[in-house]
Amino acid sequence: MIKISHLKKEYPSATPLRDVNVEIHKGDVISIIGPSGTGKSTLIRCINMLETPTAGEIWVDGECITDKKCNINKIRQKMGMVFQSFNLFNHMNVIENIMAAPVDLLGKSKQEAYDKGIELLRTVGLADKAFNYPDVLSGGQKQRVAIARTLAMEPEIILLDEPTSALDPTMVGEVQAVIKDLAKKGLTLMIVTHEMRFAREIANRVFYMDDGGVYEDGTPEQIFDNPQRERTIRFIKHLKVFEKLITSKDFDFIGFNTELEEFGRRNQVPQKTIYRGGSVFEELVMQCLLPNLEKEFHLNIAFEYAQGTETLSMSLKYDGAHFDVRNTPNIVSLAIAENASESIEYTEMDADGFTNLVSVKIK
Amino acid sequence: MTIEKILDGTRLTVAIAGRLDTTTAPQLEAELKQSYDGTEKLVLDFAALEYLSSAGLRVLLAAQKVMNKQGEMVIRNVNETINEIFEVTGFVDILTIE
Ligand SMILES: Nc1ncnc2c1ncn2[C@@H]1O[C@H](COP(=O)(O)OP(=O)(O)O)[C@@H](O)[C@H]1O
Ligand SMILES: [Mg+2]
Repeated sequence: MIKISHLKKEYPSATPLRDVNVEIHKGDVISIIGPSGTGKSTLIRCINMLETPTAGEIWVDGECITDKKCNINKIRQKMGMVFQSFNLFNHMNVIENIMAAPVDLLGKSKQEAYDKGIELLRTVGLADKAFNYPDVLSGGQKQRVAIARTLAMEPEIILLDEPTSALDPTMVGEVQAVIKDLAKKGLTLMIVTHEMRFAREIANRVFYMDDGGVYEDGTPEQIFDNPQRERTIRFIKHLKVFEKLITSKDFDFIGFNTELEEFGRRNQVPQKTIYRGGSVFEELVMQCLLPNLEKEFHLNIAFEYAQGTETLSMSLKYDGAHFDVRNTPNIVSLAIAENASESIEYTEMDADGFTNLVSVKIK
Repeated sequence: MTIEKILDGTRLTVAIAGRLDTTTAPQLEAELKQSYDGTEKLVLDFAALEYLSSAGLRVLLAAQKVMNKQGEMVIRNVNETINEIFEVTGFVDILTIE
């Protein structure tokens, strides 16, 4: 139904979409999740051409909508859009808001548009508000009207960009229930949301967006229970990360410790745990690795704290010859590090210029 | 790290507070080197020591060797975390911990 290939969107100061390649099938309900600023809104806005892509193609029902010759208004009618802010016309009552576009753009008679509008208001539970003006409605009611208005255009796909994030928490449920009904009816939906439970319940596919595109695409079970890629895992498990790249043997060790302690305080890492983390770092990196590395080196260190499971882990990546730090002749340092760890594992790797990987689970 | 020295005849007490690690161990090493002359009993007070790494252990080992020749060295007021370090590294058998 929609095919996106090599989509790129560049702004002067940011390139949220570098290379997006996905296919959306009829009846798909797709939750789009990811950290803020990763191009979720940009993707949605490119799909209905509210933004002009910098490069790449988007095909809708066999038509290339990124082609200049394409009649974009005709395509837009196939796509409904629901925004965070409801964008209702305040000078029109509810039913007039819903009737306007079908009459103006689809050429429906007023009667036809009215009948359909009342029916839609019934499906979102607001038939009794047809003659009220938007300003007397609650946020949740406004958003349900906005959804009914979108449905009145009989779209084939509905794009929803954080439809509940401007709502008072007490109203999130009613709007989510309406969206769930749409999903059950077999409409094709793409929903940007940061409500993870909702994202999981409603969708048959989840796009995790990060690093310039759809970073991981899978079923809700795959993405939420068994994410495969590094950033997805971090996001899903709510990992707090403290990361540093070290390229000099006389880097600021004191400053590093201060920052590590601050990281621990900020994220409620038990003091004993952060103490052990610092100890493993000093023994493995300062005592065993740094003296062994070549003059020019890159060493990436990341501490990750999973607040859910209260576990701290440390990963070290470094370049140069393969060297398993556990083979260090410095047995005193190794003994201290091992005592502070559940496990220390080593793997030879070859990615991003790094050749060695040490993964430590701190006790 | 802060180091405080109290000399009582041939008995020297050195109280160490804070972190004894890769960066601070050389300071302690230098401080001790100046103090061996005439010392027959060296007491290291760890009551305020918060952190100890292998770099610190190495300085302690060197001090122990010197003191073996000219008297004795004892370590006092070791907390649980630091004692764990002495145990897992086998230093409990080399040092005198009171
Ligand atoms: N109209 C715009 N002009 C310039 N930069 C923009 C514009 N829209 C979005 N951006 C930038 O693109 C990035 C992604 O934005 P957005 O798609 O809104 O992310 P998300 O919805 O995932 O939070 C951000 O860095 C943002 O500043
Ligand atoms: Mg957004």
